[in-house]
Amino acid sequence: MYRIERDRSRFREIVRGRIREDLRKYLSSTELLGRRGDKTVSIPVPQIELPRFRFGDNKKQGVGQGPGKKGQPVDGDAQDGDGAGGAGENPGQHILEVDVELDELAEMLGQELELPNIEPRGDRLLSADGGRYTGIRSTGPKSLRHFRRTYKNALRRTIASGDWDPLAPKVVPVREDERMRWRKENPRPESSAVIFHIMDVSGSMGREQKDIVRIKAFWIDTWLRSQYDNLEVVYIVHDAVAKVVDQETFFHLRESGGTKISSAYDLCLAQIQERFRPEDWNIYPFHYSDGDNWSARDTERCVGLLRDEILPRVNQFCYGQVKSAYGSGQFKKDLDSSLQDSERLVTANVDDREGIAEAIRIFLGKGR
Amino acid sequence: MVHVKNLPSALKPIALQIEAIARDAGLDFFEVVFQGYDARDVNALAAYSGFPVRYASWRFGMEYERLEKGYSWGLSKIYELVINNDPTYAYLVRSNSLLEQKLVIAHVFGHADFFKHNVWFSATERKMVDLMESHAMRVRRYIEAVGQEEVERFLDIAMALDNLTDPFLPLRELRAGKPKRTGGNQSERARAAFEAVSGGAVRRATEPKKYDGPSKPPTFDILGFLAEAADLEPWQRDIVRIVRAEAYYFMPQRMTKIMNEGWASFWHSRIMTRAVAGPDEIIDFADCHSGATMASPGQLNPYKMGIELFRHAERSGKDLFHMRAVHNDTSFIDAVIDEEFAERHGLYVYGKNQRTGRVEVVDRDWTKVKSQLLTNLTWGGLPQIELVDADHEGRGELYLRHRHDGRDLQLDAAAKTLEQVRELWKRPVNLLTQEEGQGRLLCADEDGVQVYETDEDGSVPARDEDDDDARRAS
Repeated sequence: MYRIERDRSRFREIVRGRIREDLRKYLSSTELLGRRGDKTVSIPVPQIELPRFRFGDNKKQGVGQGPGKKGQPVDGDAQDGDGAGGAGENPGQHILEVDVELDELAEMLGQELELPNIEPRGDRLLSADGGRYTGIRSTGPKSLRHFRRTYKNALRRTIASGDWDPLAPKVVPVREDERMRWRKENPRPESSAVIFHIMDVSGSMGREQKDIVRIKAFWIDTWLRSQYDNLEVVYIVHDAVAKVVDQETFFHLRESGGTKISSAYDLCLAQIQERFRPEDWNIYPFHYSDGDNWSARDTERCVGLLRDEILPRVNQFCYGQVKSAYGSGQFKKDLDSSLQDSERLVTANVDDREGIAEAIRIFLGKGR
Repeated sequence: MVHVKNLPSALKPIALQIEAIARDAGLDFFEVVFQGYDARDVNALAAYSGFPVRYASWRFGMEYERLEKGYSWGLSKIYELVINNDPTYAYLVRSNSLLEQKLVIAHVFGHADFFKHNVWFSATERKMVDLMESHAMRVRRYIEAVGQEEVERFLDIAMALDNLTDPFLPLRELRAGKPKRTGGNQSERARAAFEAVSGGAVRRATEPKKYDGPSKPPTFDILGFLAEAADLEPWQRDIVRIVRAEAYYFMPQRMTKIMNEGWASFWHSRIMTRAVAGPDEIIDFADCHSGATMASPGQLNPYKMGIELFRHAERSGKDLFHMRAVHNDTSFIDAVIDEEFAERHGLYVYGKNQRTGRVEVVDRDWTKVKSQLLTNLTWGGLPQIELVDADHEGRGELYLRHRHDGRDLQLDAAAKTLEQVRELWKRPVNLLTQEEGQGRLLCADEDGVQVYETDEDGSVPARDEDDDDARRAS
């Protein structure tokens, strides 16, 4: 019966090939955003049907039934539906959505951009789950008594002591025979990571700039999720003041006003100190801005914060500068010149959507 | 004879009871085998159009994926599948309620009778389960011999052309008495006719230009022509034949969709309400029945259309059994739909308003409605494309003509499909069609497809490489 599974996996293989071919396209479009579930992304795959001779829609008329006067619109998509003309003709011209595992998508991304796997810092052994009752002990609560093992011991003892009478088989366990189940812990390396997505939402960041940030954040999340079992994401937006927001707000907020980048760095640092101890977490702040800071003095403060407080605590700090009509792009120059010897700081320019892939490669290409 | 497999034993006497009622009412069918399956398995079978074994193709996998999605989202559910075969196989979903099973069993007898007696099915293979299996085996052998990719690529080409067939050919051949009437039963005669059209597996590759087989131009059976006349490897030729044979097997179902569903629904309704459903079941029956025959506004449900056509024919005193034997959807609608019918069921013609982009009611005149329905259903609802010449202007090129009936082809898709024809034929292939009233000639050669404007008579004014009118379509 499950012959069909072979055809299905062949189909999926073809679809994956398609997605892989088109990965660059997905890397620069918002198409996949909002299509991510917990474990999978549903990707719309058009045009996988075989070509066929079929009617166009120049004069596509059909027959329907129901009320309505001449000229009255028919509700729904009568032109695509199973009208009389559609009875049996051209099935399946619609777009099919295919679920792809996040890990698989990440793998494609990794291959496309040649990303190295990340070596997590420190390998703390944590008792990650509650363990399983696979061990045996001679002590423990009666409720955990392993009947078969206990009985076997008792039987062995009875036979060895010569009390065994096959005609009147009777086995009485004593205290020494008893065996209890015991929980064995499975310590395994815990790898947890936290991403900070920090975005400048000041007036100069337009819709296109935000879309670029969005796409980038999506792919970075996807990649890091495949690298860590436990990933937390913190969204921070800032103009002159910074605040922590939820995902929805992060992507849709439109603020205006000045820009004080240090406010965001302060908040990020506070979060790290309060919630994400560097000993336990791999920390990845990503900051996106158009590079226009309020004052040179604030930029100085940012550099100081990064050098003394943030960089020592994080795996890598990424600054992505999105080109906008208004931004001067000064901030990246300042960071680069004052922190050029820091390995943990990575900066990249994103001029347009095509640049997203390259920026991701720069950010994630170091395997930190 | 009825067999019930893999279903609750209580269904066996019910199936027998319904069979007796159906036979009393005048239905007649081959042996029917009811088999119970889980919904997943029925989806898998449906992806294979009802057959347990088909050749390997990703397209079936895609269909399965689609059905599974629809099922798991609760958008669609298959109650039953019936295949035209002797014995007739019917798959029931095990999770159906008892009432649903009764309804479905009655419905199946309707289909089974239709398959056996409708003339359009008379030339179909009745041992199709076996034939499909042998097709699958042959394809598997080719995969082993030349490799998966190669065979898959070629299968895709052949399948893209599987509607380049002549719906009337098998019946014509049967009528022409081409097969030897060995005095065998109907099924054997049909098979002989079928083998005659499908060319048999033994015929050798012939020189293309000398080809003088049954599907020589002018013909609509372009796939049949290509199978025999194109310069192909033996395994490729066999694959084209396989695809063609299966296309001809399915063609009558395409041509009688409304009738077939209508007939089955007509009988399940009659059998259930007159004999089978108890007073405690009649509400559930009505619920289930109306779900299947529901006509949402702006759409036309073949179940609903079909059942109403039969009811209307019965009211008009027509012989239903005769009608189910001789008609296909077009001739049936032509015979049955009148003003009263169109009015009673609120039929209208819809179309797109070019100005607003909305789809709206265009006309309620019953003659317009009828002619629109007939237009849409003619030729199995497919564009009519004819092979006019296989040695066009002495260059060994194919010349195809689209018989334009007011509906344009989708030109992009047509260009891509034409390239597939060229892949098989290996020499240039031309297609004459129209776009918005303007004649167009599509020419596919190894560099792609060019589109030319043509004069009234289909000739291209100045066919030149540098012609400004020429545009690359792909």
